[in-house]
Amino acid sequence: MSDLAFEMGGLVEMAVTGQVSQPAMRPNGYAHWPDGRADVLPGMYGITYNARVGDRAFGWAGDHVEPGVSIANAEEKADFALHYLTCIGNEATVVSGLAKGARGVVTGEHARILVDFDADVLDLMTIGDTVQIRTVGRGIRLAAYPMLEFKKTSPALARAYGLLEENGQVICPVAMELPARIMGSGAELNAEFVDQDLMSGDRALMADLGIDQMRLGDLIAIRDVDHRFGRSFRPGWVAICLCIHGDSIMTGHGPGILTLITGPAEKLGFTVDTGANIAHTLNIRGDA
Amino acid sequence: MLSTNAADLVAVSVAGHIAHPGFPGLPAEPYRLAADGTPFLLPTYGGIVYNVSVGDPAFGWFADCIHPGVSIRQADDMKNRGLNVYACLGNTARVMTGAAAGATGVVTGKSGRFSEQVICHFPKQDRLRMAVGDQIVIRAEGVGMALTDHPAVRLKGLSAALLGKMALREGQGRLDVGVTASIPPHLIGAGLGLTSEGGSIHLQTTDRDLVARLGLDRLRLGDIVALEDTDSRMNHGYLRGAMAIGVVCATDGPRAGYGPGIALIMTAPGGELGSYPDPGANIADLLGLIP
Repeated sequence: MSDLAFEMGGLVEMAVTGQVSQPAMRPNGYAHWPDGRADVLPGMYGITYNARVGDRAFGWAGDHVEPGVSIANAEEKADFALHYLTCIGNEATVVSGLAKGARGVVTGEHARILVDFDADVLDLMTIGDTVQIRTVGRGIRLAAYPMLEFKKTSPALARAYGLLEENGQVICPVAMELPARIMGSGAELNAEFVDQDLMSGDRALMADLGIDQMRLGDLIAIRDVDHRFGRSFRPGWVAICLCIHGDSIMTGHGPGILTLITGPAEKLGFTVDTGANIAHTLNIRGDA
Repeated sequence: MLSTNAADLVAVSVAGHIAHPGFPGLPAEPYRLAADGTPFLLPTYGGIVYNVSVGDPAFGWFADCIHPGVSIRQADDMKNRGLNVYACLGNTARVMTGAAAGATGVVTGKSGRFSEQVICHFPKQDRLRMAVGDQIVIRAEGVGMALTDHPAVRLKGLSAALLGKMALREGQGRLDVGVTASIPPHLIGAGLGLTSEGGSIHLQTTDRDLVARLGLDRLRLGDIVALEDTDSRMNHGYLRGAMAIGVVCATDGPRAGYGPGIALIMTAPGGELGSYPDPGANIADLLGLIP
């Protein structure tokens, strides 16, 4: 196990803050199904009371459902710091409002940072409350595997991965595997920023492959992609990712898949374990 | 002869100004990162491109998704959206201000998120007299066009002028389009999930060996290509049996997820649209563009 020791001693811990966001919509409010049918659906921004990490990713009457509390910083550069420094598993604290002092955990990064709090805390929170995150994790690496790149991996998440080592290869437990050909929206972004949606428009394929059983917080593996600097098709590489938001009705969209680890397949593998969900492995929910 | 409603379409003006090149790629300005993380500094979209034209190779330039010819935009986002959506491939563009006033060209492409420009071809001689900021007006006609006998086939940003020049084969409930190449779904990248009523979708070229093996590195700007298993009725996305047809409108580039940009012109979800190999399927040749 010694080769799986993470280098953590030099990590710098810094505070970043964001405010609980107010849901926002386009002028006509509509999102469209692939055949053009229009719907008005909730899901993004704000406080989501009844969708939490560990819950299903599919089947909500919502679009891009962001579990828990979605926070953002109104100042653009400060918001980039909130995005680029925050790691999954970082601790969050409410620092204003009725819920002041309540603790939460970062569970995702969409256009906003997604933070999980207990249900009784959500009842005390309001739009505009400030949440502070104690960020730590940027720069984390496995000394024995410098070719593996870790993104947004807090020390807590590094432990929660439950990594194994077999014949010189790091093995990460994941809840399921996705084929590279269905990775969609987000291909245009850098891989340090938010997620890439899996494309769920082929509903029969979702059912055939069991993808529709995905849960928010599931660890996900994708073969034949390189997620170091952007997310592109490249045989012989692997990405280990996290399901951060729910399904979408829109073509080219679907549950959000955020990059956590990427590297060459001979050094990075995975094993399927349906328990590989951060609600459980980060001890966020006792019931998940 | 393909039956359409072209006679009922309304022609309207949309205008843009020749765009100035920019480097929007924060936070690493002015560098961008190649798929392997190497920083690079190369010309990118926008402006007057003197020596790259529709009909030229899409690969091999020291550039990042450059637009051939002249790129135009509106400063105001709403107006720019009107320009980007209404302009159709094959529409006539006319220079209205500056030393090249009166020169006529053709809309040959569009660019996507982070640039949102309309790409026009003008002969190289005319480009020499143009300046950044010159106004170009497009006689926009094509939005709303439908194929009477192929209701499942949606047309996007396509003019009747270009449609009429394309190599098409009509079958039973099916339309096949002559294309120079077919792109498999795992090589479709940036643009997925974004609108198909404007902008572009990109062939992704990180895997250079595969791109060469499929012959995609021989694509030319202006080539008509097929996107396999791609449903572009609303946004662009994966669907087995669907097909999208587009025109290569920007060059290759080094960034992950990117490669030649493709302006979408046709799509159908369930096998109503197909393709067949046609080495001559390039709009520079079909429209007889003057180099």
